[in-house]
Amino acid sequence: MIINVKNIFKSFRAFHRKAGLKGAITSFFKREYKNFDVLKDINLRVNEGEIIGILGENGAGKTTLIKLMVGLLHPTSGSIDIGGYTPWKRNHKFLKDISIVMGQKNQLWWDIPASESFLLNQKLYDIDEKIYKDKLAELSELFDVKDKLDIQVRRLSLGERMKMEIIAALLHNPKIIFLDEPTIGLDVVAQSKVRDFIKYYNDQYNTTFLLTSHYMHDIQSLCKRVFIIHKGENLFDGDFSNLVKAIKPQKKLLFTFNDLPSSEILEKLNNDFSFKISNKLLSTNLPDEELNNLLSQLFKLDTPISFSIEDLPVEDTMKEFFTDPKKFI
Amino acid sequence: MKNYVIKYTYIIKMAWIHALEYKANLYVGLFAIFSGLLIEYLIWKQIFIVQDVEYIRGFSFRGLMAFIFLSMIVGQLKSSWVTSIEMIDEIRTGELNKYLIRPISFFSYNLMMFIGMNSIYYLGYSVLLCFFPFFFPGLILVSILNIIGFILALIVSIYLSYSIYFIMVCFTFWLHEVRALVIAFNISNLILSGQIIPLKMFPASIVSIIHFTPLPFLVDFPVGIATNQYSIDVWAEKFLFAICWCLLMTIIGKIIYRLGIKQYGAYGA
Repeated sequence: MIINVKNIFKSFRAFHRKAGLKGAITSFFKREYKNFDVLKDINLRVNEGEIIGILGENGAGKTTLIKLMVGLLHPTSGSIDIGGYTPWKRNHKFLKDISIVMGQKNQLWWDIPASESFLLNQKLYDIDEKIYKDKLAELSELFDVKDKLDIQVRRLSLGERMKMEIIAALLHNPKIIFLDEPTIGLDVVAQSKVRDFIKYYNDQYNTTFLLTSHYMHDIQSLCKRVFIIHKGENLFDGDFSNLVKAIKPQKKLLFTFNDLPSSEILEKLNNDFSFKISNKLLSTNLPDEELNNLLSQLFKLDTPISFSIEDLPVEDTMKEFFTDPKKFI
Repeated sequence: MKNYVIKYTYIIKMAWIHALEYKANLYVGLFAIFSGLLIEYLIWKQIFIVQDVEYIRGFSFRGLMAFIFLSMIVGQLKSSWVTSIEMIDEIRTGELNKYLIRPISFFSYNLMMFIGMNSIYYLGYSVLLCFFPFFFPGLILVSILNIIGFILALIVSIYLSYSIYFIMVCFTFWLHEVRALVIAFNISNLILSGQIIPLKMFPASIVSIIHFTPLPFLVDFPVGIATNQYSIDVWAEKFLFAICWCLLMTIIGKIIYRLGIKQYGAYGA
């Protein structure tokens, strides 16, 4: 086990004031402070080489958990062990074992080429010259940014910048990589490139990845296991596909008839299985077993022009889940 | 140790690369001090003419100009208030994260950045200082010992100034906004460290209070050495006090930083 988060609580104290000038004046003389419990009794264990998705709505506490795990924050109570280190003690050996990429924060120097920031990282992390050169060549090749290395970071596109951020985060060959919304704002091609890269890197180096993303496609294609936080509490820790099945065990069937059966037959069938018919196209969302029954009956009636069975969009499924998560857990 | 030196000297190199990226800003920065020198020259020239005196508090016009010109240069070289404002913003906006997740120290990184960014000025002013003994013969940097003493006192001044500002920066962890504190200190520092008017010209009661603070070591001390105002036997005592102030400020800074980092919210993402 490379990560062990035990009974973590984190609270923040912030002052409240009413809007407007009156509120500002009142709060200048008397401030009302409130404590916010951002994380409540979080427990998480991660094995080496896993890719785990941390899910939750905005404000659920995902980023706070990541910040605690990389040592940016001190917990209110509880303990975290990352590869034998306590993150907030910021041991340099620990910092060389981890890396973090925040989709909404730059770590590269804005006004100079990324190659200069990479060289700085080489010195900071004490990376051997040959290893550094080989690694940079490998990563820039993989991300197809070789010709962009010597351009000022601020002149790069968002996607190119994110690729450079990821390269900077990987040069020192960390054992654990925390990715907080790495695909935010990227176009579909860039998103796919980042996802492919994470898969490749995990396969190649057995690196552990902890990933937060609001794009369910990222999670679905990368993470077998997800850890869901809801209002600061640990709601689910397990297999993502099983969760999706538990939320919406249905699949979508599209069946295009060659010869449309009579309306009586269709009406009878529709009483048993609810579906819609438009022209010659039958469409329905049904659980596996019912879908198989319907399909066998349809094949008895007609040889279709085409048919397909699809999983429902995972984005919609998770939207339904987050509306009332406790209903499904 | 070797890696430590390589790491932090590379930060200085990065600061040069950064400074050289914007040529116009560099030129303007390099010549900005001359407007201050010109104003001081014109004001004191008028004072000497109006008062019709040859000496004010023991300073001839040329002696005073030598002192003030050097004070302004030292003041500029040790002035880390701009770096401090940037560090405050880094804590407020969560940019501090990029130091905390890497094997570097926030204090040392920014000190090296400050030195690196200021190196261009060090170089420019060193060239200027080479001409000072010709402009002010017998008044400034009269011996090799004076030059060495001045350089050492300047290094102490740069470090001491930075560590004082660092303490103020650390209060951001609790107060969230301390720019006004830094600016207020900077203004009082301009006057009380002897950057605009030599401390010798202040009333004795005020000078005696100032001598209980680290402020005289920021400008008055290095300039006093360069202008040969202290005998060599006073140097050791003054250097000892200056180093004690450096140690004290470093320790206080470290303690406040360690306490403050526990309050850090890492906001911004």
